[in-house]
Amino acid sequence: MALAIESTRFGHVEIDPDTVIEFPDGLIGLGGSRYALLASDPDSPFVWLHCIDDPSLSLPVTDPHRFFANYQVELTDDDGERLGLDDATPVDVYVTVVASSELSGFTANQKAPILIWNGQGHQIINQAPGCDLRAPLFAEVMGNGPGPAEDAS
Amino acid sequence: MLNITRRRGERVVLGDDVFISVLEVSGQTVRLGIDAPRSVRVYREEIWLEVKRENEAAAHATGSALPADLPAPLKAAEGGETKRAAVNPTPPQQS
Repeated sequence: MALAIESTRFGHVEIDPDTVIEFPDGLIGLGGSRYALLASDPDSPFVWLHCIDDPSLSLPVTDPHRFFANYQVELTDDDGERLGLDDATPVDVYVTVVASSELSGFTANQKAPILIWNGQGHQIINQAPGCDLRAPLFAEVMGNGPGPAEDAS
Repeated sequence: MLNITRRRGERVVLGDDVFISVLEVSGQTVRLGIDAPRSVRVYREEIWLEVKRENEAAAHATGSALPADLPAPLKAAEGGETKRAAVNPTPPQQS
């Protein structure tokens, strides 16, 4: 049986319970314990991480590897243990996206990716070097500014 | 706010299982040791705050439309230590 939510962004949405992602700790500073990924446009690289418990909470996310070829996620040992993750665990990685009226204003948060596996999700602090809190997604496209993502620091 | 004076080597206990030790005091800097169950997330405040702000900024996006037709080819997700596993984007079924 589908879960129905009255999303402030999308209106009435029905969500297959099998696609619900449990976030035991919520998103950092935002909370929420159950989310689902909604694609409003199948061709878009962006999907919406929509909170099921709060119909007004949804945020765009994307697969960082589509934009940042060398993007890496490194966990602290504590996080690795806490989450029971190792290199062999297949994990989906998403980063939050701040949208803008201009393409050049779109940014992604490389520092706090969201890891999803086995129906659960966790937002962690990425220990990989060179991660940007507001990495321009379309800097190369717009041809302005230096390359964003893998700046050698 | 509770205000507690501690010396080097002394601890504060939060609840029954979070222990905060003063490891070292040096000028303006205090080194703390935090011993907490794994389920407790510990952040430096400024990092927690900046991520919280980015999350909120992302959630404040207006409308539901995001660019689908991008003016440049996207890099394929071939790097691949990540695989699509249990979770797939679900098309919304709007009424």
